[in-house]
Order: sequence, then C-alpha cells, then structure tokens
Amino acid sequence: MIRPWCRQILAVIRLEMRKTFFARRGWWVYLLAFAPVAIWAGHAIDVSRSRDPALASAKTVPSFALDSIETGMTPDEVIAKLGQPYSRRAFRTRRIDREVMSYTDGGNTYTFVFDHGELHGIRHAELCNLNQDSVIFAAVFQYFFLRLAIFFGCAGIFMNLFRGEMIDKSLHFYLLAPMRREVLLVGKYLAGLLATVVIFTGSAALQLLIFVAHFDSQVRAEYLNGPGWSQIAAYLGVTALACLGYGSVFLAAGLLFRNPIIPAAAVLLWENVNLFLPAALKKISVIFYLQSLCPVVAPPGRDMSPVLALLVSNAEPAPAALAVAGLIVVTLAVLAMAARKARRLEINYGTD
Amino acid sequence: MTPPPIEASLIRFDNVSRFYGEVLGVNRVTLSIPPGITSLVGPNGSGKTTLMNLMTGLVRPTRGAIRVLGIAPDDPENLFRLVGYATQFDSFPKGLTGFQFVYSFLRLFGKSHAECEALASQSIERVHMSEAADRKVAAYSKGMRQRIRLAQAMAHDPRVLVLDEPLNGLDPLVRAETIALFRELAAEGRHVIVSSHILHEVDMISDQVILLSNGYVVAEGQIHEVRSEIHEQPMQVMIRCNRPAALASKVFEQDHVVEARLDPDSGGLLIKTRDADRFYRMLNQIALDGIEIESVAPADDNVNSVYEYLIGGEGPAK
Repeated sequence: MIRPWCRQILAVIRLEMRKTFFARRGWWVYLLAFAPVAIWAGHAIDVSRSRDPALASAKTVPSFALDSIETGMTPDEVIAKLGQPYSRRAFRTRRIDREVMSYTDGGNTYTFVFDHGELHGIRHAELCNLNQDSVIFAAVFQYFFLRLAIFFGCAGIFMNLFRGEMIDKSLHFYLLAPMRREVLLVGKYLAGLLATVVIFTGSAALQLLIFVAHFDSQVRAEYLNGPGWSQIAAYLGVTALACLGYGSVFLAAGLLFRNPIIPAAAVLLWENVNLFLPAALKKISVIFYLQSLCPVVAPPGRDMSPVLALLVSNAEPAPAALAVAGLIVVTLAVLAMAARKARRLEINYGTD
Repeated sequence: MTPPPIEASLIRFDNVSRFYGEVLGVNRVTLSIPPGITSLVGPNGSGKTTLMNLMTGLVRPTRGAIRVLGIAPDDPENLFRLVGYATQFDSFPKGLTGFQFVYSFLRLFGKSHAECEALASQSIERVHMSEAADRKVAAYSKGMRQRIRLAQAMAHDPRVLVLDEPLNGLDPLVRAETIALFRELAAEGRHVIVSSHILHEVDMISDQVILLSNGYVVAEGQIHEVRSEIHEQPMQVMIRCNRPAALASKVFEQDHVVEARLDPDSGGLLIKTRDADRFYRMLNQIALDGIEIESVAPADDNVNSVYEYLIGGEGPAK
C-alpha cells in the first residue's frame, strides 16, 4: 500500500514543482529570501574597502593619541599629532569643502571630518570583528529572515497549493484521481517544503558563506575550528524547521479559510508580539522554538524605546531536543487537521 | 465466468438531495443508470452538474446514498479507477502542453512512465489531437481544450465516463466524430453520461435520458417510454397517404382523436390522439377500407417534444 502512495506523492510533487519554484506570481518570494544575501554582500564589500588598507598598512595609532584630538583642529595639526592617516578623502563643491581622514588603533576606526579646513566631527566605530558580526547576523536572521522572509515566503507558497488552485479552478483534476485526499495533501505539502527549504536554506547558506568569507583566513579558521560549523548547521536546521512549521500552518490556512490573508495576519501578529508576551504564552508560537534553537542570542534592537524595552519579557529558551520535537508535533497536528478538512473538501469554485 | 451482480453495473442514486445553504441543488433523486449513453437534460440550474458532481464525489449529498458500480463516491482510490469525469470548468494547470496535461494526471494513478506515455498518446489519438499534443494548452482553441479534457478523462480507460457539456465549442465535423466516439464507447459496454443543452443531439446519441427541472428528476428512461407516459399530452402521429382529407374525416369519428390537421406540403395528415393503441388499431381498419397509407410515424416521440411537455420552453437550444 505504501509504495503506490509514494508513487502518487512523487507524481504530485512533480506536478507542483513548476508552480512552487517558477510561479510568475512568486518572484517576490525570491526577493524576500535573498534580500539578506544582498545585505551581507554589501557589508562584506564595505568592510573589505575600509579594513584592508588599515590592516595592510598597519599604521596603528595609540588610542590615547586618537582621543586627544579635538574639534576645531586643522588637518595639518591632526597629521602633526597622529601622522599620516590610512585613508584620506576630500569632497569639494561650491558650498562644501570637506575632508575625511581615517585612523585606527587596531580595534577601532576613528574618522575625522573636516569642513572648510576645521575638524567638525569625530566618528568612532569598532573595526569589523567576528563577535560583533555574529550578533548582527543573529539579529538579521531572527528579526528579518525568520519572522518576515520565511514567514511570508511560506505563506505565499503553501497557501497557494490549495487556495491558488481553487482560484484557478484546477483543483478538481487532483480530486478526480484515484488517490486518497491525505496522500494529495502530503504530496502538496512535501512539494511546498522542498521549494521553501531549497530557496530559504539556499539563501541562509549563501548568507553564512559571505559572513564567514569576509573575515581574513586566520579569523575564519579560528571560527570554523571553534563554534563555526555547529552554528552554521544550527542556522540551516532552524531555517528548514521554520519552513516545516510555517508551511504546515499556511497549508492548513489555505484549506480552512476562504480568505487565508486574515489568519496569516493573525499568525504574523502573534509571532511578532511574542517578544512582549508572558513566558507561558511565548511557548505557544513557532518563533519561540525557532529562537530557542538559534545558536546566537539576538538582542532586541538598540533603538527600542525604553517603554517597549520594559515590556520585553524573558523566558528560558526551550532545550534543543524539546524545541525540535515540539515543532514536529505541532506540524503533524496541523497537518492532521488539514487532512481532515481535505477529506471533506468539495469543489464549489463559484463560492470559493 | 459469473456475470457481475446488477449493483456492480449500475449507477444508483437513492433518495439523494443536495442543498447549497438555502439553495436547492437536487432533491429526492432516485435513479438507476444502466450502461449506454445517458443524457442529462434540463435548463440552466436544473441540477445536471450537481448530479454529475455528486456521482464523482466533488460534492457530497446532504441526504441519501450514491453508488457508482457499487462504489461510494467518497472512496476515490477505487472510484476513479473506474470513472473519468470531464467537467465543464474550462481551466487547466498552467504551463502544460496537451500531452503533459494528460500524462501528468495519469501519473497520479501510480502508473509507470512508459505506461502513462502510451496511454496518454492513445487517448490523445482517439480525440484526434495528436498533432497539437506538444502545444501549450493555453494556446488551444475552445474546441481543442474540450477535446483534451475528454482525452484526459478517458485516458485510464474508465468504465464510466461522465462528461459535462462535452459538445460545447466543437465544430460540426469534430462534433460528429465525438458523437461517434461516444457511441463506440457505449457499444463497448461503458456508461457514457453526458449533459447537453442541444436537444436534437441528445436525441441522436442517447440510449436514455434523464430530464431535470429545478433540482427534480421529472422523467428518466428511453425517450419512447418517457413519451408514452405523458398522458396529459395527446400523442402526435404523422400519416402520409393518397387521400388525407378522406382519412381526416374518418379519424374524426373516433372520440380519442382530438385534432387532425392537413399538411399540404407533405401530402400528409397530423393526428393528435389520446389513445395511441386504439388509434393504431383503427388505422389498420382504415387501410382495409381503400385508403393507401404510405407511412405512419410518431411526430412527438423525441427529446424536444418530451422536454417541451415536461419542462416547457425554459431553455435549451433546439
């Protein structure tokens, strides 16, 4: 019995491939998925432009000397105290006469901005380092990639599997095949899962590749010999689990609701207020378990207002095994509910 | 070999009703459909498509039970090995060629690649679409889309073929070919259930008809039987003879004859009688009295008339 079902599931997946990967209306899923890749690529280019000359020339200046520079000084006075900068750029228009000089103490960059020959502003930033970038990566991953990109990507792909066919009036072809409705549901779910896992883990892998590659070989080796590979595996695993969990929710929404946008908006709201929910309620969400599995804790945004920061509640992350098991159980429960609905599904395109 | 039980060769509706909320789809339908070509006839909204959707499980009955060759429609795994349904929905999965469309849905039967290729090719050939099989369905004309749907419905060689308005959009030549195909399929002992608005075609192709009106079955069976059951309407008989006026005066002597009209163009006489049996007996007597009768033919023993009598002039094209 299992073998014919498997053949039917494969046939459904084959039929769905074109729709899940190459849907004309689905280009935005790729845009969402690969936006973080573009962000990390931009960051890598920026870092390589600012860091490499600094480190290559090795013109480090002691911090106390850098801290002694004050506004109002001229470029010549600064050079007299600190020596030649590793980067010096000038911008001149009719109104603006600006010069920018950059120094480093090895761990930080100091950027001195001169307007009309006078030091006007001092910008001070840490040089790009792995710890800092890890936290930024975690924040982008958890606050953009998981909560928005994968969430909406799964909504677009999984809701389309049944609801899209009802809109296109082509679902009946499946229902007229000698196939259990549950088998059809599993086939469609696996097709959606295959597409989302390929697209989103592909994007996560590219993000991680760029993230790791933009450090020099020594830092890279230290990272990979240390927590690197386990973190990479965790990020890829969390991405796949997110597709698994959100996929089942949106597949069910596409079957259960005539207008699945409303339940999708409700789930989005619930998942995004998770940060502010009491610890007990936090656990009734997909994002809580996904965040528990993330290898680096992402802090709430620095720009968060103090009032909102007060509302943030802390809950102990779930142990990894429990989080994975919890997500799988939730997925199976939601799929079972969807299968029940699929068994009773009728073709009534006029009212759908 | 023992013959299959009767139940396994019939499509049965047992007191089936279906409501869409407050709206009636079909009500208290009890039917037994034997093999052969069965036409569902009725105006728009009479319940033809609902009946087809019910027998294929696309909608479920609110009340009653349905068995298709002994199988319940909510058992798709077994049902659709025996049943093919070409719906009226003129929509297809996007991006497929005609061949890919037929082939891909055959794969859902769990058959091998080679088997599906062979079956798809045969079915497409049977509807004369081989030359267009590699073109995208989106580029097909309405008639071609109709035919490729028919090919898809019969590709797995079903014993029951349910076809919703299968002749719509076909040009006269293809229409004739398709009707010939239905006859061929029926002659092989299959059920071919078609719905149609075009009454003269229904007349040509049907072994039996089911007349529907406002969700109720108003008549079912062979046209001749259905007509003979309509006692409220006098039977019409066209008689061609050498002395139609003399014949008219003779038949008017009979109390069951309600009308006799001369038809000068055809040299005939149209009689309306309330008792066909007595009329035919009387006609034998008249023939012995020296009027030469060339032909006698029922004039309203067809779907068109039956439809007119039972449902009225509500809709279908003639």
